[in-house]
Amino acid sequence: MHTNGTNSEQFENLRLELRRGCLAVAVLLQLRTELYGYAIRKALTDQGLAIDENTLYPLLRRLENQGLLVSQWREEDKRNKRFYHLSPVGEEVLASLLAEWRQMNSALERILAAPVDPTAA
Amino acid sequence: MSAKKTDLIDRYLNAVKFWLPGKQQKDILAELAEDLQSQVEERESALGHPLEEEELVALLKRRGSPMRVASGYIPEHRLMIPAMLPIYWLVLKIVLLWVLAPLFAIVFIGPVFNSGQPGAALLQFFGQAFRTVFFVIGIVTTVFALMDRYHAQWIDKWDPRKLPRVPPAHQPMQWYNDFAGFAFGFAAAVFWGVTMWQRGSFTFAAGWSVVLSPIWARLYWFILLLTVARALVDLYCFVRRGWTRGQSWSRLVLDVAGMILAFVAFKAGNWVDVTFANKTPAETAQFVSMINNMIRFSLILAVLVPIFDVVKQIRLLFRAKNGQSAQILTVS
Repeated sequence: MHTNGTNSEQFENLRLELRRGCLAVAVLLQLRTELYGYAIRKALTDQGLAIDENTLYPLLRRLENQGLLVSQWREEDKRNKRFYHLSPVGEEVLASLLAEWRQMNSALERILAAPVDPTAA
Repeated sequence: MSAKKTDLIDRYLNAVKFWLPGKQQKDILAELAEDLQSQVEERESALGHPLEEEELVALLKRRGSPMRVASGYIPEHRLMIPAMLPIYWLVLKIVLLWVLAPLFAIVFIGPVFNSGQPGAALLQFFGQAFRTVFFVIGIVTTVFALMDRYHAQWIDKWDPRKLPRVPPAHQPMQWYNDFAGFAFGFAAAVFWGVTMWQRGSFTFAAGWSVVLSPIWARLYWFILLLTVARALVDLYCFVRRGWTRGQSWSRLVLDVAGMILAFVAFKAGNWVDVTFANKTPAETAQFVSMINNMIRFSLILAVLVPIFDVVKQIRLLFRAKNGQSAQILTVS
């Protein structure tokens, strides 16, 4: 538990850094199925990854500008909604990102599992 | 939804629109409006009744201020890449501390002391100083921003073999400084010792003479001693390299002693008198005033300029105390 103000701020900064990359991967993963903004947020939240609207929509726009997503406006339930899904380039990039993430994750697991030598300088 | 609540959402979206990039405004606002509508519906469904005005206000407030919402859509701009920041700060420090600060001391402080209205002169000085500092910061920042924009790749063009060698404990430049300090200090001591010995005035061939104020006789030995001591310290530093702590302490003591002497001399207020055989009293008074103003200005510099060296020596002493070395040590 972070009770100290400075520690809490440091933790928050590091948490944001950690989340930033993960959120992009999560959104790309989620958009293997076509969804509109509000539904993406709901789907991610339901799976334990809450994302702020002010983070999600600019992120969607950036990913689309980078060519990783494609979107189109379409009417659903008598309202116009913007639906996003992964582009072919996005699929390739997502595959590479997942490989990178798996490699990093397994490396972290190995480091975590390694015995700590308190005498090592 | 009631007209009042629709109006709140419209006002919110309009406020966000103000900050959005022009080309994307319509698209972004349509998406935001749709998202807000979905949120309102979900909230109403959870509560089991249409949202009250206060509830809608809370929902919009939770969403964030219009400027914050819009900021996410504005492309991030930076003046320079983080890799350039160390050299940017270094250049800024050099310009501000080692160029502008002495320049201010020389160009602006003197007139403040000589002015008949020191308050107004001081205000003018601060005005000029702030304008100059901000101008210089602006110029340096602009130059770095342009370098980043057009030539940032030079940062990555490097070769370990072309990096400067680690200097010895004393940099070569310091070696020359110590030698020059000794040579000039010795010459100054001889000049002072010989020309000022029991001298109350100087008479020149053109029929004019300079009468020295008594303060110079009173300070004669102190100034001579200080000049000789400075020359000897420089000589010792030149001969014995690596005498860092002793050197810092010696220079610190000499700087402070020099500042005290300059201040004592400054307090005397009138340092020379001049007599001319062929000038009117008004012309003579004007000349005397000019000479005394020049001496006043020199004494102000003699008090202020050593402050930089004092700060430097204190920092060196602190570093030495904390075990930091100027040397980069190779860990084997």
